Amino acid sequence: MRGHAFVVAGYIPGNSVFHRMRLGLKAAGLFLVAVMCLASPFVSVAVGFWTTTAALAAVVGAHFAAGLPWGRLWRAVRLMLVFLVLIAAYQWWQHGPAVAWQVIAAIIATVLASNILTATTPVDELLDGLASIVRPLERIGADPERFSLTVALMLRSIPFVIGAFADVRDAARARGLERNLMARSLPVVIATVAYARSTGEALAARGLGEPAIKTVERAYKD
Amino acid sequence: MNQAVSPSIVLSGAGVSIESGDPRSPAPKRILSPLSLTLAERRIAVIGANGSGKSTLLRLLNGLVLPTSGTVHVHGRNTRDEGTAVRSMVGFVFTDPLSQLVMPTPLEDVELSLRRMKLGKARRREAAMAVLAGYGLEHLAASSIYELSGGERQLTALATVLAVEPSVLVLDEPSTLLDLRNTKLLMERLAALPQQVIMSTHDLTLAATFERVLVVDDGHIAFDGAPGDAISHYRKLVG
Repeated sequence: MRGHAFVVAGYIPGNSVFHRMRLGLKAAGLFLVAVMCLASPFVSVAVGFWTTTAALAAVVGAHFAAGLPWGRLWRAVRLMLVFLVLIAAYQWWQHGPAVAWQVIAAIIATVLASNILTATTPVDELLDGLASIVRPLERIGADPERFSLTVALMLRSIPFVIGAFADVRDAARARGLERNLMARSLPVVIATVAYARSTGEALAARGLGEPAIKTVERAYKD
Repeated sequence: MNQAVSPSIVLSGAGVSIESGDPRSPAPKRILSPLSLTLAERRIAVIGANGSGKSTLLRLLNGLVLPTSGTVHVHGRNTRDEGTAVRSMVGFVFTDPLSQLVMPTPLEDVELSLRRMKLGKARRREAAMAVLAGYGLEHLAASSIYELSGGERQLTALATVLAVEPSVLVLDEPSTLLDLRNTKLLMERLAALPQQVIMSTHDLTLAATFERVLVVDDGHIAFDGAPGDAISHYRKLVG
């Protein structure tokens, strides 16, 4: 798999204000961006247009304030480009350019905001944060560690699938099969299933996602 | 470590079969014939051709594969009934470290291993750094796992497994993807470990340094004994 594909959802070390900010505050910011982008169009088209434009500008500014590279921003947009064009075309046709822009700006702003959160938060801190959210549900049988591990694996898997698509596309091109849908999709499915199996096996081998063993805990606590 | 090396791993008639999936011949396909073994030596090598059943045998030892007949006990714990406890005692290192490393950086991956110890964030980070330092990897703590060399990745995988201090370490062809220099480095680290080490390998020179060698062929143990005799037997077997 292409290693660079992992950069999309990965942590980028740094010392920016966002790197030092508490996870809860960053999550609240992300929530605020999402609410503003989703709720403002209900007031009026004009309010929706200007609010989402302002939110997008603020998020792009925050992206660079966090010391994140331009390439990462572009990569996030590029991954959605086909869908953005299709959505924009439909919205323009149905509701006009103002709504089309507002929808596209809302999608990009929320994706970039979530990108800032994952890029400025170490995975371990993210796991702690997710586990603390689920911890109150422990009484009804929820397992916070398993929940946070699942989310972490999901974050890890998205770039893998993207990388698999790129690898398979190149392999299909090398064989002159770039227009063959089967050659470009089936190997991705097979690679993804194999990846899920090997990840599951690795987790099981390391005892991750299983209840803690007292003897193991003692080894470090003593 | 969790427990001393003795008592050992005991396989009692442990075999593995799978459904054939072929309606024309519905009889289960045998992957590993029932084996009865006691593995007590500190260094045991498993050799055999590709597809002979080496990996299945190793996976039986920490409950990744459960026997379809017989039992496997690790320090008295049955892999079927006490899988969690067994896996806390038996660390497993895969051929490809990339399939084993779950987190983006070595530090985060070691921290992940330590999470179930409920240490607290600061203590966990400190312990993870100490583990990496023990393998000379502290300078790579924040590097992407994709920036590491093959040897560094395999050492990181080893560190993540040994972070929870298992009493047995099982390695499935850990040097297959490594060059000679990194293989040597890995083997030096393994030699210094206090744990019982059970490792499959195609490197017969390496197998010769172990105390006991099992030769696996077509799902059964073709030879079990001293390295010299085992390697001679294997050479005859493959012609």
